[in-house]
Amino acid sequence: MAHQAHAYHMVDPSPWPLTGAISALLMTSGLATTFHYKTTTLLFLGTTLLLLTMFQWWRDIIRESTFQGHHTTSVQKGHGYGMVLFITSEVFFFIGFFWAFYHSSLAPAIELGGLWPPTGITPLDPFEVPLLNTAVLLASGVTVTWAHHSIIEGARKPALQSLTLTVLLGLYFTALQAMEYYEAPFTLADGVYGCTFFVATGFHGLHVIIGTTFLMVCLLRHTHYHFTSKHHFGFEAAAWYWHFVDVVWLFLYISIYWWGS
Amino acid sequence: MAARLLLRSAFRAATTCRAAPVPALTRGVTTGGIPTDEEQATGLEKVILKATKEGKDPYSMLKPKEYAGTKADPHLVPSVTNKRIVGCVCEEDNTAVIWFWLHEGEAQRCPSCGSHYKLVPHELPH
Repeated sequence: MAHQAHAYHMVDPSPWPLTGAISALLMTSGLATTFHYKTTTLLFLGTTLLLLTMFQWWRDIIRESTFQGHHTTSVQKGHGYGMVLFITSEVFFFIGFFWAFYHSSLAPAIELGGLWPPTGITPLDPFEVPLLNTAVLLASGVTVTWAHHSIIEGARKPALQSLTLTVLLGLYFTALQAMEYYEAPFTLADGVYGCTFFVATGFHGLHVIIGTTFLMVCLLRHTHYHFTSKHHFGFEAAAWYWHFVDVVWLFLYISIYWWGS
Repeated sequence: MAARLLLRSAFRAATTCRAAPVPALTRGVTTGGIPTDEEQATGLEKVILKATKEGKDPYSMLKPKEYAGTKADPHLVPSVTNKRIVGCVCEEDNTAVIWFWLHEGEAQRCPSCGSHYKLVPHELPH
C-alpha cells in the first residue's frame, strides 16, 4: 500500500479508456452508416461497448474507493473539482441551444409570419403538464437534499426513503415528458420552433435519464452500505448533477414553455 | 364528521413519539444504520485517518510549518531518505528558484540568500 509518500491515487493501468474511445468511434461511424445505409450494426455494437465500458470503469472506481481505500480526502477534493468542471461544460452545451432558441424567437423571420410562436404552431399550455413537471423536479431537489442530510446524520432508513423518492420523481418526470412528446401537436420537423423545442428539451430529457441512473446507482450502493456519514462523494456528485438538471429545466420552462408561448 | 375523524387521527399522529430508536443493524454500525469512517475506512484512507487522529501528517497533506530560516530556527525539511531537493524562493515573488540537494547532517545554507535548511527523517507508515 504505502510505498508512496503522498495521499494521491496513481491509478493502475486500465483498458477502459481504450474501449471507451473505440466505442466512440464505432458509435459515430455507426450513426453515419445508419443514416446512409439503414444498417444499425455498427451503432448497436458501439453502444453495447459503451455500456460495458461505463459499467466496468465505474465498477473499478467503486472497488478502488470503497473496498481498497484509495480515495483519501485529497483524492475526493480532485474529484470535486472534476465534477464541477464537467457540469460547467454541460452548462455551456445548453447555452448553445438557448442561444439558438433566442436567436430565432427574439426577431422572428418573415417566413414564420414575423411572430413567435410561428404561424401554424400551437404551443403546449405552460400551465398544464409542463407546470407539473416543474413541481416534480423541484420536489425531487428537496428529496435529494433530504437524502443528503440523512446520510450525514447517519440515518439509514430516511436516506433510503428520500433517495428512492427522488428516483421515482425522476422517472415520473421522464414518463410525463414522454407522454407530452407523443401527444404534442407539433414535431421536430416543424420549422425552427419544432427544432429548438425538441433539441433543447430532448437533450434535457437525456440528462434527466442520466441523472436518474446516477441516483439509482447511489441508491443501490447505499443499500450495500458503501457510504459513510463523512465519505459519500459519489452521492454528492449525483446530487450536484441532479440540481443542474433541475436548473436547466427551470430555464427551459421560463424561456421556451412560458415566454415562448 | 369526516373532518372530525381526520382531525383526531392527525392529532394522534402528531403527538405520538415517532423517535423510536432504529435497532442497531449488523456490520458494527453504532446508531442510525449508516457506518462511520472510523468503522468502515480501509487502506490508505484508514491509515491517514488514524495518523490524523494522532496529530501526525505522514503524507504531507497539511501546509508545511513556517520557520525563520536562521541558524537557531532552520527550515526543517522532512525526508524519507537521506537527501531531498530544496527549491528556495529567496524573496517573495522571485522567479528564479534556487535548487540544491539537502543532505542529512548539519544544516546547509541557500547559496543565494543564506537561509538555513536542515534535513529531518520522516516516518512513512508501511
